[in-house]
Amino acid sequence: MKTSTPTEARAIIDNATPPKKIQFRKLWQTFGPATIFLAVFLMISAFNPNFLTSGGMGIVATLSAPILMVALGQAIVLNVGSIDLSNASMSLLGAILLALALPNFGVTSPIIILLVTTAFGIFNGFFVAYTKVPSFALTLGTLGIFQSGALVFSNATAVYVSDNKDFLGHLHTTKLAGAPTTFFIGLAMAVILWFVLRYTKVGRGMTAIGLNETGAVYSGLKNRGLKVVAFGISGFMSGLGSLVIIAQSGSASPNGLGSDLLLPGIAAAIVGGTSILGGATNPINVVFGALTVSMIPIANAVLGVNAQAQSLVYGLAIISIAALMLNGSRSGIVK
Amino acid sequence: MANNNSGTITPSANTAAISNRINWRRLAEPSALIATLFALIIIFSILNPRFASVENLRNLMDQAALPLIIGVGATLVILLGSIDLSIEGIMGSAGLAFVLLSANSRSESDFGLLALLAALLTGIIFGLLNGLIVTKVKVPSFVVTLGMWFVGLGFATVLYGTETIPVLTNPEVSSWSSTLTFGAPNSFWAAVFVVILGVITLILTKTGRSIMAIGNNEVIARNSGIRVDRIKITVFALAGLLSAVAGIIAAIKLGSGSPSVGLGSLFITIPAVVIGGTALAGGKGGVLRTALGVLLLTVLNNGLILAGVSPSFQSGLAGAILIAAIVFAAWSQRDRLRIAK
Repeated sequence: MKTSTPTEARAIIDNATPPKKIQFRKLWQTFGPATIFLAVFLMISAFNPNFLTSGGMGIVATLSAPILMVALGQAIVLNVGSIDLSNASMSLLGAILLALALPNFGVTSPIIILLVTTAFGIFNGFFVAYTKVPSFALTLGTLGIFQSGALVFSNATAVYVSDNKDFLGHLHTTKLAGAPTTFFIGLAMAVILWFVLRYTKVGRGMTAIGLNETGAVYSGLKNRGLKVVAFGISGFMSGLGSLVIIAQSGSASPNGLGSDLLLPGIAAAIVGGTSILGGATNPINVVFGALTVSMIPIANAVLGVNAQAQSLVYGLAIISIAALMLNGSRSGIVK
Repeated sequence: MANNNSGTITPSANTAAISNRINWRRLAEPSALIATLFALIIIFSILNPRFASVENLRNLMDQAALPLIIGVGATLVILLGSIDLSIEGIMGSAGLAFVLLSANSRSESDFGLLALLAALLTGIIFGLLNGLIVTKVKVPSFVVTLGMWFVGLGFATVLYGTETIPVLTNPEVSSWSSTLTFGAPNSFWAAVFVVILGVITLILTKTGRSIMAIGNNEVIARNSGIRVDRIKITVFALAGLLSAVAGIIAAIKLGSGSPSVGLGSLFITIPAVVIGGTALAGGKGGVLRTALGVLLLTVLNNGLILAGVSPSFQSGLAGAILIAAIVFAAWSQRDRLRIAK
């Protein structure tokens, strides 16, 4: 979809942004996510003071854990200028496979699942990088395959973990300052990914591809390999999402916890300051994005909006924040 | 030939050779699809004799109707080089608006034809919003329409509320889509009508030719004086309208209102468009090709179910076919310098 020839890419560079706009966007990308988080947080606390005293933030952290996992993966993929529409369905399939594997393989099964989902991600990345198909179309295809996989392996019903569920369950029940361990794993991953993006060759390379792929190729960057790595990370994070789903609910079903992660994941990445055009993300801000997105149902309830309408809010959030961040930043062709 | 050139500058010496190759492909691709379609029909007829029965033929027509209608809109959008992912959301909103304003079990009020108009208007408004945000705010269409998908679903959920399920009470309305006219269900005739209109729009009108021009090379189209933004907004609005038509028919088929009335539609439509040979990059393809793609996928899904394959495999199969089709289409252009996001 967003394919362009080198000439078009040059045309876009020629029409570069006036510096003032860039500064606003930079400012937004650094402080915006935390500001939005604080604003929503204060609004909820003002309307309902119980939120502060009755461990509301602990609930938000719990809700945000699976969203944070897929959002971090999505942020890495968005950072190279692609999108992964299959990551949520990958998490769900992983959770179902994990529920089936736990009784037989015990402690090794989470590792197996992480390897499997990472392989799925690499599969996505391989196709995007080497056959040059648009990522949204390819991952829409793999989304269908993973969905089918989830239905087939679960026989379209809930799969309960019959044995060995405790050691994963501890990740959910062991709490620090009201938040479950699963959230802190996400937080740790955010810090690791931030470090990778900021200080490693691989991370800098991925950002360079997102900023200007033609330029990156001419500079000798291995653009295809780096894209595979980005999608591989997304797969790995989806696998962590699977672990969180099983830790939290002890079961997995094709339409249970995790089946609606795609949009919250993208919303969290974008609210977290990730650019949909690539080249700009900060995993630590994505944590704020995930927390904000998890507060949306609570904010809806506090404001008296139909709680069912949360997809409307997610949709509006994605469009308006994408619009806000892009405003005036590109005068080239938009498809 | 000019319409098939994907925007790159070709040295004039090669033009003749390239035009030959394209003419060959023009014929070969649809022929291959038609051959596959017939092969599938023969295989499924052997696997289960019920496949070739008159009832199943009507079934197939009924099943193909919705993707055919949506497919026309999706084709026009994809020909521009954009994408419309908001199909299922618009279907949910428009379908529910129609049910709630027609004679239904929840309220006494029956607005008759006005209900139809209101539902169609809902679709047009969503489509217009898509088009306006893409052209004026310059947000890529896959993000805008991804968001609008869920805005539509959310809007439908709000309309649905927490009361009882709204059931269509007028039997004339609720049986409309399955009523047979000249041996085929009404829904199918609606689809045929939309496809014919789509073909005429694309081939014979200025708007249609402009769509192809924009898909081929937007810069040249703009410089040639085509009102690119206006055409794009029109096309997104049209796609919204057609999604609304599909949503209304889907609601009639279901006999009641539900936000998720369009569930799975995106998954038949986009693969069908791509299999038909419409390039995701825009500028190449057509409405009839999409119709062929829809028929192929409908026959495949219907035949597999009659052959005893679990419906759980459906979305996976559509996904695998989608991947195969886009990889096949992009294979000749997988240059390292080509940028695909």
